[in-house]
Amino acid sequence: MSHLNLQAAEKSASAFEVKPNKSIKQSNFPYWLVGLILLIALTFALVLSGGNFSDAFYFIREGLTITILTTLAAFSIAMVIGLITSLGRISTNVFARNLATFYVELIRGIPVLVLIFFIALVGVPSLIDGLGKLADSLGAWGAPLRGLRNDSIPMQSRAIIALSITFGAYLSETFRAGIQSVPKGQMEAARSQGLSYGQAMRHIILPQAFRNILPAIGNEFISLLKDSSLVSVLAVRDITQLARLYSGRTFQFRESYLTLSVLYLSITLILSSLVKFTEKRSRRDQH
Amino acid sequence: MTNTNAFQNGNVSPIIKLENVSKTFGAIEAIKNINLEVEAGKVYSILGPSGSGKSTLLRCINYLEEPEQGRVFIDGEELCGNQKLLNRLRTKTAMVFQQFNLYPHMNIRENLTIALRIVKKMDKVQANQIAEAQLAKVGILDKADAYPSQLSGGQQQRAAIARALAMEPEIMLFDEPTSALDPEMIKEVLDVMLLLANEGMTMLVVTHEMGFARAASDQIIFMDAGQVLEQANAETFFTASHNTRVKTFLSQIISRS
Repeated sequence: MSHLNLQAAEKSASAFEVKPNKSIKQSNFPYWLVGLILLIALTFALVLSGGNFSDAFYFIREGLTITILTTLAAFSIAMVIGLITSLGRISTNVFARNLATFYVELIRGIPVLVLIFFIALVGVPSLIDGLGKLADSLGAWGAPLRGLRNDSIPMQSRAIIALSITFGAYLSETFRAGIQSVPKGQMEAARSQGLSYGQAMRHIILPQAFRNILPAIGNEFISLLKDSSLVSVLAVRDITQLARLYSGRTFQFRESYLTLSVLYLSITLILSSLVKFTEKRSRRDQH
Repeated sequence: MTNTNAFQNGNVSPIIKLENVSKTFGAIEAIKNINLEVEAGKVYSILGPSGSGKSTLLRCINYLEEPEQGRVFIDGEELCGNQKLLNRLRTKTAMVFQQFNLYPHMNIRENLTIALRIVKKMDKVQANQIAEAQLAKVGILDKADAYPSQLSGGQQQRAAIARALAMEPEIMLFDEPTSALDPEMIKEVLDVMLLLANEGMTMLVVTHEMGFARAASDQIIFMDAGQVLEQANAETFFTASHNTRVKTFLSQIISRS
């Protein structure tokens, strides 16, 4: 009986097999990518030809350092927050689990732009306020905290704090999915050998989880890079802010925003092809 | 039953002892009131229909499942939630799983040495020596640098046995070690297990391999619906059991094969 079923299954499987042929290869060609590269090339041609586009580009380019630094700093902090939060989410400890879930659901329910306003303009000032009061109540012990004023934390740092808190919550979901993608037997095998929960996590579970979610982490990085444009609302001089300033001053909106868009596009295109490459490689190396 | 008497007379102290152990999953009672004593150097096969609690019993000994009631002793020390004690007692027992559970991101040598280095704090050279000795024993020393996915199922399970042996456990727990294997690979794994049995390793084996159970076991433990229905030496169990449930089980096994 089972033998017959197997034969039937084999037959139906072979019926779905499609032999690769020329037409499929042609239809798989990434015309979209050619289109995007053409768009980038045309814009850079306009920039190189001098004139208004050139002026806009050189003005906006000055913000690249801040855009990249903000993204890298926020992403590093978000990775740490995300990892700790994901461990909390899967913890058996009721307090840790609820605290972590509270944080993630709170952040995920609020738009990034609103979070940036809130954390930079409400969160950080009230924190400084609270620390000041704490310093007063501590007397002599509070001396190191007393110098803290609202203007001693620049907007760029606040922007980084806001993005870290936001993407920490997003990344914790990615980490959690990665940890849960590792079969339960791995933890059991490690524990049965006498490894503690933490040791098993660090040496057995997380390396496998991390490999599984590497592409997803890459995509979160790209999202963060794009969302870093929102920090312009705090007057942080990233490329978006500089494009706003330049267009406001010269009324060359087309030049400013086309250059700005293409700048983001070229960076994210390079990053996403890197992500695709690691995705392919990790699928090939799947041990 | 002779074991129990011997123990009560104070002749032999059991290496594993279970007292009234129960475990439920939701509304299902996986095991009920299990009392069991395991003597050092003997091989016990745990038989019984699917869902009879065999694996749960084994996992309670390793504390992968925490029993709700009752007590489990390893070498006279009681297993409990204390993580330090638990990690120490777990190094005395070693578990071999149905799905092998090798670490896929490490090669076979690293699979064997990771716990030696972390739990036993050995240096790399010493750990590698032990790993290679165990791999030679199960006949896959040439696969030391391969990754688990590059091995056949039989080789993976032998590697898993070597990994368990590397910790120099006093007791080996086998949870259906051949159930996930292709038929032609079952023998190579059973041969390794027979080798261990002949060396005097204390073994608890949950299995459906009646031939192995009969040839290698000192004692057969028969479970049904979460309880131990019969414990007897292998020959008595297979030829002279009076328990009707055992008889039905055996007749079904024979008619199936």
